[in-house]
Amino acid sequence: MMSSKTRNRAVTAALAYLVVFISLVFFILPILWIIYTSFRTQASIFTGTVFPPLEEFTLENYRTILSVTDFPRYFLNSFQIATLVTLLSLLCSIIGAYGLSRFNIRGKNALIMGIFSTQMFPQVLLIIPLYLIIFHLLLLDRVIGVVLGHIVLVLPFQIWMLKGYFDNISKDIDDSARIDGCSIPQRLIFVVLPIAAPGIMVAAFFSFVVSWGDYLIVSIVSQSQRTATVTLAIQRLSSALLIRWGQVAAATVLTIVPTIILFYFVQNRLVEGLTAGAIKEE
Amino acid sequence: MREIRKGLLLIVPALVIMSLFTVYPLLDGIRMAFTNKHLLKETVQYVGGANFKRILTDEIFWISLYHSVILTVSAVVLQFILGLVLAWTMKQKLPGMNIFKSIIMASWVIPVAATVIMFKFMAQPDIGLINIALKLLGFKNLNRYWLGDLNAALPFIIMLHLWRNVPFYGIAFLAAMQAIPKSYYEAAEIDGASAWRKFLHITLPGIRSMIMVMVTIHVLWTFNNFDFVYLATGGGPVNATDVLPVYVYRQCWTSYTVSYGAAIGTVMLFILMIYFIVYIRIYEKRTGS
Repeated sequence: MMSSKTRNRAVTAALAYLVVFISLVFFILPILWIIYTSFRTQASIFTGTVFPPLEEFTLENYRTILSVTDFPRYFLNSFQIATLVTLLSLLCSIIGAYGLSRFNIRGKNALIMGIFSTQMFPQVLLIIPLYLIIFHLLLLDRVIGVVLGHIVLVLPFQIWMLKGYFDNISKDIDDSARIDGCSIPQRLIFVVLPIAAPGIMVAAFFSFVVSWGDYLIVSIVSQSQRTATVTLAIQRLSSALLIRWGQVAAATVLTIVPTIILFYFVQNRLVEGLTAGAIKEE
Repeated sequence: MREIRKGLLLIVPALVIMSLFTVYPLLDGIRMAFTNKHLLKETVQYVGGANFKRILTDEIFWISLYHSVILTVSAVVLQFILGLVLAWTMKQKLPGMNIFKSIIMASWVIPVAATVIMFKFMAQPDIGLINIALKLLGFKNLNRYWLGDLNAALPFIIMLHLWRNVPFYGIAFLAAMQAIPKSYYEAAEIDGASAWRKFLHITLPGIRSMIMVMVTIHVLWTFNNFDFVYLATGGGPVNATDVLPVYVYRQCWTSYTVSYGAAIGTVMLFILMIYFIVYIRIYEKRTGS
């Protein structure tokens, strides 16, 4: 009896580690491989070997990308756009989600369902009139034009998830603050926000990552270096006639790094925050 | 009462932005589907259902629709199953599991454009890791550019979706599983229930609402996803990976026939609306509200 139980446990552990091993190879190895490639010379990559001699490793790819190409400029564009999108969309979604979570507004449930259902709108359909709006506002090829497009992408989902997050915070603390004479902004800023900070970090992370990784909107609104972003840059580098894989890899790594750094700060909270709208705590 | 009016004021900014830049563009897009609007021509006329009539006989539309459905269904079903496997794995209390949990979602945060490049490089003939590995295993004759292969390209793109989303499913399911009270399992153990029965009768019902949300949102996101296919293959080779969002994009921004693109986009919306309505019906019936 005892031995069959320990055997079961050993089988379970072996199976679990097998899944872990396969997962690491499938999900993590491709990331390590592009990093590895970014330090190899073009000639070395084209030998098709996995472990080349040490002298075939180089920093040349990064030097070229950072000092010869316009990549640093695209990086700054991306950073500026994603930061603005994050700040503006958060401002809007925090107060909107707070309103939806704390006040019994008529038709509230229909409104929340409506906000969620925007997830089914095809972006490729929205972008046609959106392009014309941005054109008429004279925002084509402007940072603000791209920012506007990205806010449209992130706002509904952000409100939906923050509303869920606020719902899980007890209403009692609002009520006692109100009795103490706190106004709505005071209650939101000093009472609810500190408690909701982890959820807001995830919401901020979400909008930054969506904006940083967007290709669709940038490809239409951007028409010059002024607004081109890292995603456009790496796409162009990787569709050149003669692809310099080492440089493509270096640019790709530089594109990935900011999202991985931010991910490090939210990793444990990420799913909890993203799916807060789906789970109601008792 | 005044409180409620102030509460209403809080949602006004978000509502204004969404009305102007999401709802209005949607309605305008649908309206455009009934015109002959061309991005480079000045004159615009209403043409009734002409664009939709054209869709009926447009072979590429039907191929793209077929690929979109195949891609969405197989990606979501596989993500669901593999996500459950991953969640089960991460639920085991074993050394190293916490580190594994904390790094496994990295694929989800990486920009799709970067993911596509990583895999495009790995799929290269001779120098790509996939072909190098196949050669080592003795399958030298399989050496090819996987995204340029008529039969392999679409499965490869499904795999890209799995790469990005399976860890997200796994972590989400795990979070839901951990919210199930332990006493349920203890009671089942006393009754001598097998692991499989516990999974079927406790775990699955326990994470049902999470499953519903993950599946719905990924059906919508995958069906509407543009960048994986566009960046990986552009729809090729010879339409082998064409999906509706990419076809709409090409109609609008390569051929400039935005009215026809809008008509196809409207059909996409219509398909997803049917899915969404059916889903809500089932969901309400199940939860009995």
